[in-house]
Amino acid sequence: MSKRKTLIKVKPNKFKNGDIVKVSFMVMHPMETGLRKDKKTGKYIPAEYIKNVKFEYNGKVFTNMNVWETLSVNPVLTTYMKVDGEGTIKVTFTDNEGTVEESSQKIKPKG
Amino acid sequence: MQRRDFLRGLSAAAASAIVVSPSVSFAADEKPQGSNALSYKEALAAVTGGKTPEVSKKVALKVPEIAENGAVVPVTVEVDHPMNEDDYVKSIHIFATKNGNSRCVDAHLSPANGKAMLSTRVKLGETQEVAALVELSNGTFLIASQSVKVTIGGCG
Repeated sequence: MSKRKTLIKVKPNKFKNGDIVKVSFMVMHPMETGLRKDKKTGKYIPAEYIKNVKFEYNGKVFTNMNVWETLSVNPVLTTYMKVDGEGTIKVTFTDNEGTVEESSQKIKPKG
Repeated sequence: MQRRDFLRGLSAAAASAIVVSPSVSFAADEKPQGSNALSYKEALAAVTGGKTPEVSKKVALKVPEIAENGAVVPVTVEVDHPMNEDDYVKSIHIFATKNGNSRCVDAHLSPANGKAMLSTRVKLGETQEVAALVELSNGTFLIASQSVKVTIGGCG
């Protein structure tokens, strides 16, 4: 399967060392429950959803989420983080079939 | 006479069709249970382990009162609690009480968050209550809930 489109957003744009910033993770994902029928064929569409999302900052896990199929299509998950020097935010997510994908974003505090 | 007989036959056929049709439609409406289906009570008990959560104003749950589209309902949970090394918010759970699978997100936080907040978007199948359960590091549970009116269901 091709890699899914993801986006990691850090707000606000400018931040200093020691600030608390908002980290949003977005992923283009259908989040199928497995209970919906295909209108043309009349068969159930197989379930396809994200199970786990892990937020890491410089190799340290700061938020770990168990996610169910009740989330909306293209889910957005937001949490806060304390900035502690230059580094990378890495988000790893696991599918219901066990596919693991990850994406990362470098951050650089000013001042 | 022929015409009268023909009409009688028609009405009889229509009556039989009415009798039969409800059973057919009921069979088609039967919804399958998802593999993760779990009721709100069971899900709550699984997280708290039998403890009764305390209704608290420290938990701020932001959900629209009327959601036009149940497929995308924004939910934000903020907890007014310090995030120190020895006293912090351990986890935030969001439940949709009447969904087949009532669990939405279990977020396990750490002191490195700095601020206890969780924001996402959930699907709601019908008009129901959304609940936010918060676990503190000392083992106490706080809860807040709000009802959401859904005009178009979002599940199945």
